[in-house]
Amino acid sequence: MRDETADPGMKQTVFIVDDDPAICESLCNLIESAGLVTRQFASAEDFLKMSSPELAGCLVLDVRLPGMSGMELQNRLIKSGLRIPIIIMTAHGDIPMVRNAMKAGAVEFLTKPFQDEELLMAIEEAFALDRSQRSAKSLERSIVERWKTLSERERQVLELVTTGMLNKQIADRLNLSLITVKLYRRQVMDKMQAETFADLVKMWERMKASQDVNVSM
Amino acid sequence: MGTDVKRVHARTFQFFARPLGISFFFVLLALLWTFPLQKVMAYPFVFLFFGAIMCSAWFGGFIAGTMAVAMSSLAIDYFFVPPFYSMTIGREFRSYVAAFVICAIAITAVSSARRKSEAAVKTARDQLEIRVRERTAELQQSNAEILERERQLRELTEAIPQQIWRTNASGYVEYCNRNLTEYLGKETHELGDGAFGSILHPEDAPLFLQSWDAARESAHPFELQARVRSAGGDYRWFLIRGNPQWGANGEIVCWYGVHIDIEEQQRAQQALLISQDKLSRFSRTTTLAEMAASIAHELNQPLTALVADSHACRRWLNSDPVNIPRAVATTERIVRECTRASAVVSRVRSLFTRSEYVRESTDINALIRELARLIRDDAIRRNVSIKLCLAERLPLLHVDRVQIQQVLLNLAVNGMDAMSESEAARELEISSEMPAADEVMVTVRDTGLGLAEEAKTRMFDPFFTTKPAGTGMGLSICRSIIEAHQGRIWADSLPRGAAFHFTLGSNA
Repeated sequence: MRDETADPGMKQTVFIVDDDPAICESLCNLIESAGLVTRQFASAEDFLKMSSPELAGCLVLDVRLPGMSGMELQNRLIKSGLRIPIIIMTAHGDIPMVRNAMKAGAVEFLTKPFQDEELLMAIEEAFALDRSQRSAKSLERSIVERWKTLSERERQVLELVTTGMLNKQIADRLNLSLITVKLYRRQVMDKMQAETFADLVKMWERMKASQDVNVSM
Repeated sequence: MGTDVKRVHARTFQFFARPLGISFFFVLLALLWTFPLQKVMAYPFVFLFFGAIMCSAWFGGFIAGTMAVAMSSLAIDYFFVPPFYSMTIGREFRSYVAAFVICAIAITAVSSARRKSEAAVKTARDQLEIRVRERTAELQQSNAEILERERQLRELTEAIPQQIWRTNASGYVEYCNRNLTEYLGKETHELGDGAFGSILHPEDAPLFLQSWDAARESAHPFELQARVRSAGGDYRWFLIRGNPQWGANGEIVCWYGVHIDIEEQQRAQQALLISQDKLSRFSRTTTLAEMAASIAHELNQPLTALVADSHACRRWLNSDPVNIPRAVATTERIVRECTRASAVVSRVRSLFTRSEYVRESTDINALIRELARLIRDDAIRRNVSIKLCLAERLPLLHVDRVQIQQVLLNLAVNGMDAMSESEAARELEISSEMPAADEVMVTVRDTGLGLAEEAKTRMFDPFFTTKPAGTGMGLSICRSIIEAHQGRIWADSLPRGAAFHFTLGSNA
């Protein structure tokens, strides 16, 4: 179940944001020649309007843009939790800017003009990252879905079990018989589709780490 | 009338009443004493009356004496010469009374004369004393006045908001006013000999000492700007002026000097100079850099598109099956982008070619003088003396003032830069002349390091520079300005230094 990848129907797209239409078009041309899907935007604002958490692929972003700059767009996406991989382009290698962009998680930094291989390899890398991010995300989502099928008691047992408490202690805490606790535990394992106890703990940790799920009871 | 009456009264008192009173008093005293004494003494006893006459003449003067004589005679006649209590005189006593009267008159004369001379001496002495006292008072007053004036003068030199010093003829500091000692944080005796070397900025001291020595040798006043160290250790710019003070025999007695704080002016001037400098030199560098960046960006965009499209075109052609329509479309894009890049290039070229000049009739000598004023302080700071050799009656030139000034400034600053390492006398000479009827030539000559062979051939090329921080654009811009004025610019290497010449047509 770990290998479960993102929605295969979601085709990965290269989103290009550059205010120079000639560059936009020629980059599209080049990327399409490699058999990939592209979409172009003339400004950061245009891209933000279109963006959604469902986007698959990567962003090829020019630093110098009218209005919101490329760096601002990157920050904005990080804040809104959109983890789409970003490739930054610039006309002049501004070192502090490169450092900031890379720190903020850009996949690659390209100085114009660049060779096709540089761009295509960066896109490949970005796509791989995008895939793994999205599969992790969908895994998280399915864990949450499973967790939602648990009853109130089962959720309590799950939480206490993952803190390392023994069945007997849980029984004492919840005022249940040892047998009942064991029963609940089996059910939790089944519903969460956990093969081992370690799997269950990992699922719980992942769920707790994900910010968009409220697991408090 | 009243005063007359008063005077008459005074006279009466002086010449009649007072002598009468005095003589009456003494004669009465003698009379009263004689009555008891005549019983004891020899007969007739009259000596006390002599005493009375003497005293009257002494205290009352001659008139009182005479009155006393008369009264004594009468009293003796009446009381003591038989027949007693009668005014008649017995025969045998007539000679006695006569002797008495004669003696009495003589005593009166002697006593009053003595009295008069005594009075005269006393008066003289009194007058002398009064005069001495007056003279003493006068002297004291003038002394006080002198002291006051001295105090005022001292206060003036102390309180004057300038720094003042005095040295002896050989330059030994003898006096500093409070303002100066407070600024320096040193007392006068701490300065003494060689004072200036220790209070001036190390960069300014040699030049100052040189001109101070020269001033003392030639006995001429001197004036110089130098930085002086304050008590706090920081330096301020001062205008230092020294004037010799001549003695009666025509020798120098001492030197008076004043330090005038010109820090603010200096700063303002510096700021002005820097802003001018910036305007003419540094701003050119920054605009150049900015322009280069913007040109690079302008060109980089079509080039980026070109590279991407070229790669794409190859990929379309290499794809299986070959995608001819996309390849064709891509080559069309390549052509478009090349055209765009070339448009950028020609736009940049047109940016640099200025077709219109603001030309006006200009006196080139005025322009040179203005430049000399502009760089004067810079030259002083760099210990460069500026010499102008300007030909008279030059025709007015039809030129762009700002541009020609830029050329002049560039050549002058280059000249000064060339001399910055030179140990020899640093002299910048700017001359103007008319080598031909329709041509004016300006020469900027320095006594610097001269020109290297490589520099000679390449120095007017853009980006060629021998300075660490140079842009290499200065002389290249000079050349384009002069050539735009249909002139020529060239350089000569001199035995010591270099000369840059440029010509301007007088009817251009």
